[in-house]
Amino acid sequence: MTTKIIELGPHQLALEEPMYFRVQLEGDRVADLDVLPGQVHRGMEHLVMRRNLYQNITLLERLCSLCSNSHPSTFCAAVEEVAGIAIPPRAEYLRAVADEIKRIASHLFCCAVQANAIGEIPLFRRVMEVREIMQRAKEAIYGNRMDLAANVIGGVRYDLPPEAIAYLYQAMEDMKKPLDELYLQFANNPALMARMAWVGVLPSEAAVECAVVGPVARACGIDYDVRKKSPYGAYDRLDFEVAMQTAGDVRARNLVRLAEARQSVSLIEQCLAQLPAGPLCVDTLPEIPAGEAIAKSEAPRGELMYYLRTDGSDFPVRLKWRVPSYMNWDALKVMLKGEPVANIPLIVNSIDPCIACTDR
Amino acid sequence: MHMQVEETTVEPVRLFRINTGSCNGCDVELAVTSAVTEFDVEQLGCRYTEDATEADVLLITGPLTVKARDEVLRLYAETPRDRITVAVGVCPVSGGVFRDSYAVDGPIERYLPVDVNVPGCPPRPQALLAGIGEALQIRQARRAGVEPVGRADGKGQEGDNFPARCRLSFDASVCVDCRMCRHVCAAGAIRFQEVEGGVRLTLWHNSCVFCGLCSHYCPTGALSVTGDWRLDHPAADAFAQVERGDIPYAPCSGCGEPIVPAAPQLLHTAFRRPTPEIDKLTALCPACRQVMSIGAPGR
Amino acid sequence: MTDCTETMTDCAETMPDCAETMPDCAETMPERNNPTSDDLPTAPLSPRERVPEGRVRDAFEDGVAAALAMAAGEETTVTWRRDRKGVSTGWCRLPSGEALLPAARAVAELHGRLAMVTPYLPERAKERGEREIAYHFDLDGATLTLTVVLPLEWARVPSLTPIFRNCDWHERELMELYDVQVVGHPDPRRLFLDHTLPHAPFERLVPYSTFTNAATSKALWDKVLAGEREDA
Repeated sequence: MTTKIIELGPHQLALEEPMYFRVQLEGDRVADLDVLPGQVHRGMEHLVMRRNLYQNITLLERLCSLCSNSHPSTFCAAVEEVAGIAIPPRAEYLRAVADEIKRIASHLFCCAVQANAIGEIPLFRRVMEVREIMQRAKEAIYGNRMDLAANVIGGVRYDLPPEAIAYLYQAMEDMKKPLDELYLQFANNPALMARMAWVGVLPSEAAVECAVVGPVARACGIDYDVRKKSPYGAYDRLDFEVAMQTAGDVRARNLVRLAEARQSVSLIEQCLAQLPAGPLCVDTLPEIPAGEAIAKSEAPRGELMYYLRTDGSDFPVRLKWRVPSYMNWDALKVMLKGEPVANIPLIVNSIDPCIACTDR
Repeated sequence: MHMQVEETTVEPVRLFRINTGSCNGCDVELAVTSAVTEFDVEQLGCRYTEDATEADVLLITGPLTVKARDEVLRLYAETPRDRITVAVGVCPVSGGVFRDSYAVDGPIERYLPVDVNVPGCPPRPQALLAGIGEALQIRQARRAGVEPVGRADGKGQEGDNFPARCRLSFDASVCVDCRMCRHVCAAGAIRFQEVEGGVRLTLWHNSCVFCGLCSHYCPTGALSVTGDWRLDHPAADAFAQVERGDIPYAPCSGCGEPIVPAAPQLLHTAFRRPTPEIDKLTALCPACRQVMSIGAPGR
Repeated sequence: MTDCTETMTDCAETMPDCAETMPDCAETMPERNNPTSDDLPTAPLSPRERVPEGRVRDAFEDGVAAALAMAAGEETTVTWRRDRKGVSTGWCRLPSGEALLPAARAVAELHGRLAMVTPYLPERAKERGEREIAYHFDLDGATLTLTVVLPLEWARVPSLTPIFRNCDWHERELMELYDVQVVGHPDPRRLFLDHTLPHAPFERLVPYSTFTNAATSKALWDKVLAGEREDA
């Protein structure tokens, strides 16, 4: 068997963002993989130390647009932990609404991109059209289709007046049937099964060893969701099950995502139904003392962790974060081993890799 | 526009994208213009291509990272010489929130000429289509050997259902020069300058990321977010995309020093129902205020 | 050692659901956990609510502390904080750099998952001649942070990749952003930094201007403000 090494770029990998792989092939099968990140490295962990805590809310929202709300909300949670601030109950629910809307849109984008990667263009367009319901809702409520600008230190800076609540209820209603249909399609459609089932398998032992997170882990039967394991915000008062699959293949990962998107609809409805009255934010300009804190959340791609260290000034001494995608690249070595070259784009996209997040 | 429609029946205009290290917001929205019927670039007679050598219009996103630069320039060199280049979002023009990082090598104009800018963070699909439309006009004009005229259509666009966060508006008459807006602006889009007889605020829309934090923290509502999303413009006008206003000095009613008097909006924020005594404070400089309040000069 | 470790493992598995609601809590300042408190950063820990002693959770927290003390030396202590939702974070400053490997092994035996590595230059790093690296582990929803204090210059840490496979990228990033040598890393190439960029841009001892394009802002704004004068 001949061994050769090929370099793949964003075009060959069917990625929206620049990322390069060096792939070792045995015949036409993948034997090994070297991931070469850094194209979207903007030095953000350095920039945040030169920006004050307020500026960092906006800067971090631009870390990545697909999970843009998770970053400022988790960063604000870390600041609030250092300052001993309990955000108002209404703000907890409004943060959850923003996070779940983003989760639905993010998961659908991932499923759409995979449909595109295997040439299922009508399905790609269909998923993107369903996602538009969320895009329109984001613009209607937050004023932008990607970056919501929902968070401030101490709470949120948007409200849901009654007409917005009615609008969101309707949007959630509009999502239910399409999401149910998409789930069945990704679960049972023979053409999708042929491309996605038993493809890119990550056995659960390997998943534990690689320490993968999010839908990639839950598709391997790992029962870990930060919203359950380390509850934050409103999640301790919301009713939901952790979406799980066991096959660890491309299909399982998509079924986890589509089940979660459907569950996010329910979570948003619960938030709207339970939304407590009261203030949106504790204090416009709270005092941030010296200290250190960790805050975590379940971003669309999995566990997101922030570490903040302050010295009583407006600037962080250190602000470090680890995005979920960071943990999932390594598992591609396992998923791709023995797979034909033609499956590489699909499998790579099946971990929903976020390069802007990874590179920072 | 009818000339472009004619062209679609013959050959679509080919769009080619280069991501120079973006947060993916502009890229995901560009994907929408190839996937969602309402915003499909087909309505402009365009189609996306994966082949740089076919690029009629080049769409550039991101602040240009050091690591992406070589590949970006290699792809750019492959595009035809008569391509029209569009900078999508504020990053290619100014770096946006990423400016001044050790890992960022933009603005893109250091390396290649840009024809059209489409501010936004990210721009909504309607704005992307408007920007591409403007590029098509320039392309038509260049092919006909004439100067391009203005942008595709000049009418102000506020009239849709969504109060999108777009152009910022500044009302100098209620500004109290507290500069909180500049303090919270992640993109360094706001500058204050001493000018003749007052203080000038300048907000640059090619750096602004439209987060609205300035307006959120503005105590008097001097800065506000409008829904005007038509910000696309010829790249030659990049530095003229500003919102500005002069906050005039008035003499302190105690000593005559020029000061920025407090706006009534600030008093209402601070005191809810200001008394005439408090009102008097607004026209006093800090030193005179101290004298009035505690009756002794400061050190 | 083995007996004790098994007990710890049991504790970890019997961790209760974190979602229990917390009754009214008094605010207290948690105690410092460093044996040489003079060396601590000036940062006082933030005020935190205390929860009533939950027996199982306490057993877990005590178990983790005991395992670390056994592995890294008995002066090793863990301070636990719980937030309003009952989520625990444990903070442990290791007595020495040598304690890192045994402590990491103990965490692995407790089924800990490496979650993040944070190298940083703490407050007054230069005058104290010290830097720190915090290793954050997930213990089934709780986060344990092990902090090692290293000399500012010629800092070296052992690679944790033999224990935690996923430490690979964390350590590659640590090596390119900071002046720290990771001993025994299997693949010490640069990860994110372009080869044309100088080494260790996060070392604050080097002037910022060497690494940043601070001139960009000035050049752009000069043009914005110049344009203004023209049409004013």
